[in-house]
Amino acid sequence: MIQEITLTDTLPHVFRGMEKTAPVCNSQVWLHEVSFRRPGYYMIEAESGTGKSSLCSFIFGVRGDYQGTVAFDGRDVRTFSIDEWCALRTRALAYLPQEMHLFPELTVMENIMIKNRLTDCRSGEWIRRALERLEIEGKADSPAALLSVGQQQRVAIVRALCQPFDFLLIDEPVSHLDSRNNSIVASLIDEEAQANGAAVIATSVGNKINLPIQSTLLL
Amino acid sequence: MKKSAVWHLLRRNISKAQLIGYSVANLIGLCIVISAIQLYSDVSSVWDDEDSFISRDYLILSKQVSGLGSILSGDPAAFSPDDLEELKAQKWVRRVGEFTASNFGVGASVEMGGRGMNTAMFLEAIPDEFFDVKPRQWQFIPGESQTVPIIISKEYLSLYNFGFAASRGLPQISESMIGMVPLKLSISGNGRQQWMPAKIVGFSSRLNTIAVPEAFMEWANANFSDRPQPDPSRIIVETNSPGDPAIEQYLREHHLEAAGDKVDNGRAAYFLAVVTAAVVGVGVIISLLAFFILLLSIYLLLQKNREKLRQLMTLGYSPAAVARNYYIIVGSNNGAVLVGAVIAMLVAKHFWSAPLGNIGVDPAAPWWSIGVGTAIMALITAGNIAAIARNIRKTFPRP
Repeated sequence: MIQEITLTDTLPHVFRGMEKTAPVCNSQVWLHEVSFRRPGYYMIEAESGTGKSSLCSFIFGVRGDYQGTVAFDGRDVRTFSIDEWCALRTRALAYLPQEMHLFPELTVMENIMIKNRLTDCRSGEWIRRALERLEIEGKADSPAALLSVGQQQRVAIVRALCQPFDFLLIDEPVSHLDSRNNSIVASLIDEEAQANGAAVIATSVGNKINLPIQSTLLL
Repeated sequence: MKKSAVWHLLRRNISKAQLIGYSVANLIGLCIVISAIQLYSDVSSVWDDEDSFISRDYLILSKQVSGLGSILSGDPAAFSPDDLEELKAQKWVRRVGEFTASNFGVGASVEMGGRGMNTAMFLEAIPDEFFDVKPRQWQFIPGESQTVPIIISKEYLSLYNFGFAASRGLPQISESMIGMVPLKLSISGNGRQQWMPAKIVGFSSRLNTIAVPEAFMEWANANFSDRPQPDPSRIIVETNSPGDPAIEQYLREHHLEAAGDKVDNGRAAYFLAVVTAAVVGVGVIISLLAFFILLLSIYLLLQKNREKLRQLMTLGYSPAAVARNYYIIVGSNNGAVLVGAVIAMLVAKHFWSAPLGNIGVDPAAPWWSIGVGTAIMALITAGNIAAIARNIRKTFPRP
């Protein structure tokens, strides 16, 4: 269980030596102390190239090319073992990467089940209803490669929700969705976040997810 | 469907051609290794056989008799304690036994069919462990035993049966018959003389002498000899590498002679050992190369699947969970190769068993070679699995 994620003086290596220039000098995240507590809805607003995907990768622990610290409940994430990361990624941290990382050769259902099998979190009925709600139930047996980017985004959201979580990281979750689908996705995420008592950290370069955001930070 | 999704993902880039190439190479390598070991253990089973063509690893050594020195001095060429120490220090020597000569006068008489024969003769003794025969009556306790047991060379009996008896019209006698022939030994020296009954209790193919138990020799030398015991003129050496060229070189340098053609016979064994080692070496090299082919092939596969592996582990799969799929590929492949190699070896063994049987070789059970093959395969599989585990752990996404 994670209660709080804290970033202290964090800065991606690519911004080293650019501390006094934009975008680093205008950022409310880089080189600051920032805390995300659960429950809560956070929005990271950014322009392209300011490092929002990097930020998600740092928090999710898939990259380490930064200075400063990222800590879960006060413990530096660099000290976590492989086993601890596996446990966190199946029980505490859910992540929707901007690139979605679906396996194009697998069907929609296989892409979802490859996660759900690991966590054993959702029933087949829940998954079917979620796909229905996001209006992609007819695509369940289609290879992910044949889906539009907007459809892929919705499949990736369902997959990300196939686990218990304390924090949900969603990197531009609705960048390819219209406002109606944006609201459908947002309501699903809202329900699940509340059910888990979780925090949601969303990023956006413009098209924001329709969640009741409590805190917005400029990256 | 659940389980097959990961498998479905990861098996995509498996190159069948590479796997087949590896399997064939490893099959050949392993086949050569275990077949060579099997052939070696089949053929070397003859070493346990006393009368085999690859003779047991004993050498009877004496100093070369040359010139007039020994005649003039009256001193036979003997082994000094220093000579023996030097010999014992050689790498190919396992044990050395001394021939103790009788240092007193010995005569023998035999009564056969009313005809008596007398002859002057000699006796020798060597430690019991160097005999190839162990007759039950082979013991002598001074003061208690009445009869002196004697072991003679098989060749003496042949000489009598096919040389002497045939030319003189005397009856030929068998080994069991000769034990019933009443012999009398006359032992004299130190101003004393004694008759003792004696009996031939065995025939040796290894020792070219007339041998009595060491206990008898010690007792007789103590009682009938007034001269100090001379150094042994013959010794028996048990060697641990028959046919080793070092033996021949040593004998040449020290002007020693080996009785019979034991050195030559030993060469066959040495040759077999060298050839087996060379063939096993080639097999091991092929297996090693095959091991590296599989390793490279797996590295290539892991490289091609790197992004997928990373994504699976980002989803929360542990390195062990994704590696398991590769373990299954490697394990089943190596298991199949092992089974194939064992079958091929057994087929080959079947073919060489008949000709080997014709020359009296009793084939050995295949457990030893199968064990070695399994051990090699286990090592290769462990190496593969360790490499896969290491590689996948390195791919694990972490800060």
